[in-house]
Amino acid sequence: MSSPFSINGGAAVAMVGKDCVAIACDLRLGLQALTVSNNFPKIFQYGDVFLGLTGLATDVSTVSDLFRYKVNMYRLREERDIAPRTFANLVSSSLYEKRFGPYFVSPVVAGLDPKTGVPFICGFDSIGCIDFAKDFIVSGTATEQLFGMCESLWEPDMSPDELFETISQSLLNAVDRDALSGWGAHVYIIEKDKVTKRLLKGRQD
Amino acid sequence: MADRYSFSLTTFSPSGKLVQIEYALNAVNQGVTALGIKATNGIVLATEKKSSSPLADPSSLSKISLITPNIGMVYSGMGPDYRVLVDRARKVSHTGYKRIYNEYPPTRILVQDVARVMQEATQSGGVRPYGVSLLIAGWDEGILPEEEEGSAKTEVVITGEDGEKKKVSGKTGGILKGGPMLYQVDPSGSYFPWKATAIGKSATTAKTFLEKRYAEGLELEDAVHIALLTLKETIEGEMNGETIEIGIVGPPADHLLGVEGVEGAKGPRFRKLTPQEIEDYLTNL
Amino acid sequence: MPGFDFSNYNRNAALHARGVPLPKATSTGTTIVGCIFDGGVVIAADTRATSGPIVADKNCEKLHYISPNIWCAGAGTAADTEFTTALISSQLELHSLSTGRKPRVVTCMTLLKQHLFRYQGHIGAYLVVAGVDPTGTHLFTVHAHGSTDKLPYVTMGSGSLAAMSVFETQWKPKMTQDEAVELCSQAIQSGIFNDLGSGSNVDVAVITGEKTVLKRGYVRPNERSQKLKSYIFPKGTTAVLNEKIIRKEDLGNYVSVHELSTTEEGGDKMEVDT
Repeated sequence: MSSPFSINGGAAVAMVGKDCVAIACDLRLGLQALTVSNNFPKIFQYGDVFLGLTGLATDVSTVSDLFRYKVNMYRLREERDIAPRTFANLVSSSLYEKRFGPYFVSPVVAGLDPKTGVPFICGFDSIGCIDFAKDFIVSGTATEQLFGMCESLWEPDMSPDELFETISQSLLNAVDRDALSGWGAHVYIIEKDKVTKRLLKGRQD
Repeated sequence: MADRYSFSLTTFSPSGKLVQIEYALNAVNQGVTALGIKATNGIVLATEKKSSSPLADPSSLSKISLITPNIGMVYSGMGPDYRVLVDRARKVSHTGYKRIYNEYPPTRILVQDVARVMQEATQSGGVRPYGVSLLIAGWDEGILPEEEEGSAKTEVVITGEDGEKKKVSGKTGGILKGGPMLYQVDPSGSYFPWKATAIGKSATTAKTFLEKRYAEGLELEDAVHIALLTLKETIEGEMNGETIEIGIVGPPADHLLGVEGVEGAKGPRFRKLTPQEIEDYLTNL
Repeated sequence: MPGFDFSNYNRNAALHARGVPLPKATSTGTTIVGCIFDGGVVIAADTRATSGPIVADKNCEKLHYISPNIWCAGAGTAADTEFTTALISSQLELHSLSTGRKPRVVTCMTLLKQHLFRYQGHIGAYLVVAGVDPTGTHLFTVHAHGSTDKLPYVTMGSGSLAAMSVFETQWKPKMTQDEAVELCSQAIQSGIFNDLGSGSNVDVAVITGEKTVLKRGYVRPNERSQKLKSYIFPKGTTAVLNEKIIRKEDLGNYVSVHELSTTEEGGDKMEVDT
């Protein structure tokens, strides 16, 4: 049987721009080679923080619900929204708690620091090791393609519009070379005073 | 198992009082006075270090404790109970917060955790309430009250139904409240935020004095000064570096960090003043 | 950490029994070293994190804070080194607070080995523990199964052989601080260039009785050269089917705030704090 990470397919990516961050995912849900749905978003919003989840779809749902619960409890207890860095540490410790029976997910976190507005992104392995990056984070079955795309297209201090084109082209072209990902994409551009969500046209094969 | 048959010692009297809690408060009101004053840029905690005998070694006694690098605590009442609570507060700040979020808890969260421990002792089987009141002082990262005014950077505006723009207050959430925090926690588990307060034997006298001397926009240095003046009103013995204990929450003390080159590392804000520092304040009184 | 949660263990074990491979954890292929000098100790590490053959992080931190005067370099499963050191750091901080003494390196090493031995090697943390305490300067290695060593110079990780070759040819007793930093840096660079699991930069921590100095990116021999051309796409390149903008100031349309009066009307008042 194949790896639990590549049964359902899917890809996610986050990128840093100038005073903005972007996070994007494809929309495919599959069962090995059979595509079941072309509307299965993998990005979840918790207040001002965004979480991308790829991997085993059942765990994507479970983990996204778990963090919705944890973030809601945080907000009730602390009377404030969770900051991206705090959320990243929450994700990390929650995943590591299941060190010997992990969820088959590769999370990606993106957001702006609520106090300073400094962009924050990071990624995790399935047992919670954080990868702090200053440029981009990739995850999913198209990881290798995404690494290649981002490594060549990303550059520092992109404006929100430039960042949108760069992350979109990185994702679309990466998933076109991955049979298990694609079928459209969601892209979020996160700025201090607004969030723009776009649905991209992608190949349907 | 013995604990299955143990019952709560704190039970309602027919008039609706929990007398055990009132007795605990009596223990507090016999304790040595402790006080706390909040300033714009910090907080001061102060108390008298009273030894029962001239033979006692005062240097080994410590009544003000560091809980997290930004939070300190002082008590009035029973010393042994206090030390249990200090250990619990330190432990819970790690297990219930730092090991989850990789940061120390904000003051209110810590206060609530300690208050929960104290409340549980009023309702659990086989235990008695803690015989202490606490003053917990801390500094929270976040948006300071004065920053909140002018900064358009963090301002969130809500457009009301009539098109009138309203600024979101801290109450409606979404805004991080930062700055100095001072709380009192009682044996019942209730807690109160204060600008300045006192607990213990001469709490009433001290609070009357503080009401007269406290002013809005106080600086930390003034607060230390007022703290010493208040203590002077209530103290029984001599006032010197050995008999007075002072803890301050002030600017980050990076020289106490012990490390260089760690990104984002800030020194502890809470520290206890040395006997020498206290002597210096006393001579300038 | 009171313990691990095994709720998914049976599911994952059943999948594994049917031939599903285990998840790939980020590992720090890694070269880590440590060396005692006259008056303190140096530890150093490379900054590459790998996931199989993929470089997952080009500039990760492998030098972990335990206490101001004790630091750890970690190799093996990245999550395990991160969380094991964080847990022991937390325990030592509480211990130090309640005893009113500075934490000792042996205490740290003992807590680490007892924790790792309890998990019989399943926690894949391979650590170099170094520090200065009131009893002197100490340097240890701790293996995932719980064994420890005490030596004047140590290497660990996949690049340990490359690094050890440098120590075995150039190490001498009673080095100065600068000599020790340079030797450790050379040992790490030998790992960076000769071991595929190690790469990017050299991080160094110098611990003396007085303070610890962390030198992140002490040597950066693998800087990426500047791109000569920009690949930025003109606006409108990507076909968009749908766009939704949510502005913070429009949040009022989604949230209604009602000010509730606490005094008048609104049912019976509740008695509190009488």
